Amino acid sequence: MTLVPVTYKGGIYQHDIIVDLIEDLGGYVVQKHIIAAEVVLQCFVPREDIELIRTIAKPLFGEVTDSPLVGTEIAVVSMSLEIHHLPHPSCDIAEYVRRIGAKSNMVSLARGPGKRIAGLNDEERDVINEHDIAVYLLGNFETCIEYKVPTLRRGIEVPIILCGGPDEETLRRITNPPFDGYVGNVGRFMRRTKESDQLEKLDEIIAEITRVVEKTRDAIAKDPLSVSPARLMDLIREKMPDISLVTSPTPLTVQMRGLRVKLPYDRYAAPLRAIEIEDGIKIGDVADVVPSRMRDYILVKIHPFSETNMVI
Amino acid sequence: MASLEYFEVECPERLGGEYYRQITNDVLLDHNLLKVIEKLHIFIDPKVPVFVAVGTLRKITTIVQVRDFANVNPLEGKITLVLSEETYLAPMLKRFWETFGKDHVEQPDRFTVMLYDVKATPGEIEEMIVADPSESLFKDLIYAFRCIAPEGFRLRQEKFSREKFSFVASENTIAEDIDTVIAEKFALIGVKP
Repeated sequence: MTLVPVTYKGGIYQHDIIVDLIEDLGGYVVQKHIIAAEVVLQCFVPREDIELIRTIAKPLFGEVTDSPLVGTEIAVVSMSLEIHHLPHPSCDIAEYVRRIGAKSNMVSLARGPGKRIAGLNDEERDVINEHDIAVYLLGNFETCIEYKVPTLRRGIEVPIILCGGPDEETLRRITNPPFDGYVGNVGRFMRRTKESDQLEKLDEIIAEITRVVEKTRDAIAKDPLSVSPARLMDLIREKMPDISLVTSPTPLTVQMRGLRVKLPYDRYAAPLRAIEIEDGIKIGDVADVVPSRMRDYILVKIHPFSETNMVI
Repeated sequence: MASLEYFEVECPERLGGEYYRQITNDVLLDHNLLKVIEKLHIFIDPKVPVFVAVGTLRKITTIVQVRDFANVNPLEGKITLVLSEETYLAPMLKRFWETFGKDHVEQPDRFTVMLYDVKATPGEIEEMIVADPSESLFKDLIYAFRCIAPEGFRLRQEKFSREKFSFVASENTIAEDIDTVIAEKFALIGVKP
């Protein structure tokens, strides 16, 4: 059974039918938003059952769309929190990515701006490495990008998509070794992205992120994870009732290779490791439960099949 | 930028220059400074790196008086002011409190202010100056150029006068011969430094 990420949008009336259906089919609801009288469900469902969900959702005026970024956590790396970079373009991009299902976090660097003075500290590096993908939003000058990029990518192990003012060919030329993705002509600007050409540029960023996500998913498929992150999320939600007391919008954030649990590490790490998944196999047996650099959260890194020799 | 007589962005990187032209346009428009600046020349060299902006200013004589945004109606020992906009409400109230005392000033709602037992005539009240936008002009201009200049360029040198201004920003110590560069750029807009 292959689970694919989709988004369901429909009215609040009888939406629990859809939630039950997804769960009965063996799918998982990753995020649920209720906005006025509308419900948005970001979920993983079996590929062969999408048509069934569509058929049942039809009388409820619900629609199911592909959302390749559901179940990913993306770091939008802004060079600073100053007016120069916020709210445009950093927030525009972070928000656009969120609309199609990704959980995006903005990571702003303490010493990101400038040419010679730009730097990346260990906390920033570790926080970026906790994500599935990093989208670097750089400035308008190729001279500066060429100079500072080696410093800013040092120690980053996740795929990086580089966005900058120069065109894509120039970005490719000035960066060595190459990045995983490039989007040119998106540097620093100080106006809201609302014109059609600007929105096309945002779509281009989404397309590039999707391409890199698909590539990573293919790599994971070759050596599958011991347990699906979405399944772990469901299990933790069931076995650890305290998670319902967390006020964060996504107390359990699903990633491609694990998940972030927004509970204090010191109190909850040991009980989390001891949660039984199936047949006496515990979370601690198939995953590393480590402290996150983001606040005092817990990070669950699921081992692949090649390390544990089991897939649950 | 139709209201500027001259506007140029000079940069060795063509595309970077175009982006900065757009940024300058957006920032000046957002801060409502287009009508203040007459000529503007920006020079950016990311290799050095340095950002230089030189320009001339228009004469601003617009002081804001009570009559510009309020109707003054005298009636039976009290004067009622009906406001058409509340932008200058706070400085106007402050001025009234200073002049007449808080006991004589009342504000029943957002757009109405009443003055009781004041010695001033309605004409005098209409002519009271409540704000002078030119007071904060240099502050606004410096803030706008800080927004326009690349963020990492944190070492700055600003010279603002009633007629002209220069703004230099860099990441490194500003070169000793920067005045020569400023003079060159002023020459391009036909101004003697």
